[in-house]
Amino acid sequence: MNERTALESKPVEDEDRADDAEPDSQESPEGPEGTDGTDEHGRRPRWPRILGALLTVALLATGGALFAEGQQLRDTPATANLALTDAEATTRVTGDVSNALGRIFSYGPDATALTKDAARQVLAGKALQQYAALFGQVEKQAADQKLTLTTHVVRAGVTRLTGSSAHLLVFLDQVYERRGRPATTASAQLSVTAELRDGQWRIVEIGSI
Amino acid sequence: MARAGTTRNPLVIAATALAVVAAAAAGWGGWDRYDASHDDAASYAQARDDALAAGEQAVQNMNTLDHRTLEKGLDSWEESTTGDLHRQLVEGRDAFAEQIVAAKTVSTAKVLSGAVTELDERAGRAGVMVALRVTVAAPKGEPAVKESRMLGTLTRTAEGWKLSALGQAPVGSTAG
Repeated sequence: MNERTALESKPVEDEDRADDAEPDSQESPEGPEGTDGTDEHGRRPRWPRILGALLTVALLATGGALFAEGQQLRDTPATANLALTDAEATTRVTGDVSNALGRIFSYGPDATALTKDAARQVLAGKALQQYAALFGQVEKQAADQKLTLTTHVVRAGVTRLTGSSAHLLVFLDQVYERRGRPATTASAQLSVTAELRDGQWRIVEIGSI
Repeated sequence: MARAGTTRNPLVIAATALAVVAAAAAGWGGWDRYDASHDDAASYAQARDDALAAGEQAVQNMNTLDHRTLEKGLDSWEESTTGDLHRQLVEGRDAFAEQIVAAKTVSTAKVLSGAVTELDERAGRAGVMVALRVTVAAPKGEPAVKESRMLGTLTRTAEGWKLSALGQAPVGSTAG
């Protein structure tokens, strides 16, 4: 471009080089080429276009990679477990399960019916079947031996929590009282599985540890 | 003219649009990545899992002791603890070591289950409950196996979570 302006602005030099007509004629073909050049001006940024395309691809790839990385950071096994991270749900399930265990494992010689009712409310699935099998004996024992059992949850912790299911570790104390005898206390460690059904956490499985 | 032609070229418009979209995607991706690494919930969940892992390991260490490798065992006790508990262990180390040497006991522990009961990430404090089976073998007689349930308090240190308090979960204390 500079060359051309130089040539145009200094025709004297061209005249000086009158003999160099051929270069001139060479330049006149260059004229049309020049107009082509304007086209080429459009086409000339072919490498910028390629660069632009490459940059675009690179940007897209970077964005995608960063986004994927971000998702990976968020969706870890740690974040899938809502224990404590969802404070409200954690408190709720801990409270519901602690209450439930206290109710189903507490009974007096005359109050087994209450316990049975409670079990139907707070247990479900396998836990309810297990409990029903167990409670036949318990009912008899309680009546025959005038036995009172009181269960307290000492500590309960959520090991795993999702939207509708939870696993808990529960430490509890059980106090047995027979009429006329001193009370005995036994400690137990349970692993409890609970499911959220109709807005209430129900125990579906109880295992001793 | 040529320039006007270029801008009107639908291909160029599309290319430009694509480039803008790409730049936006990169920006969004970068922001998302940044946001994710500063995600409080994710960091809290990670802290919880770290505290539990450290807590279970520390409780296991504290219930493991072999009179034949006493120094190593007591070192691991000290490494697992911080604060008051650590100080107590250091102060009582010699007297305790004598007892163990005399009794020639070998204690091993297996963690059965554990849970974090509370976590204050800012204060660097966590509460853990751990159920474990402890086997104590003395030179005479059968090894004694007992289930143990422990409550511990963890404090975050530069070297990770360490026990600052540890005790058996009380039995019968809540009974009316």
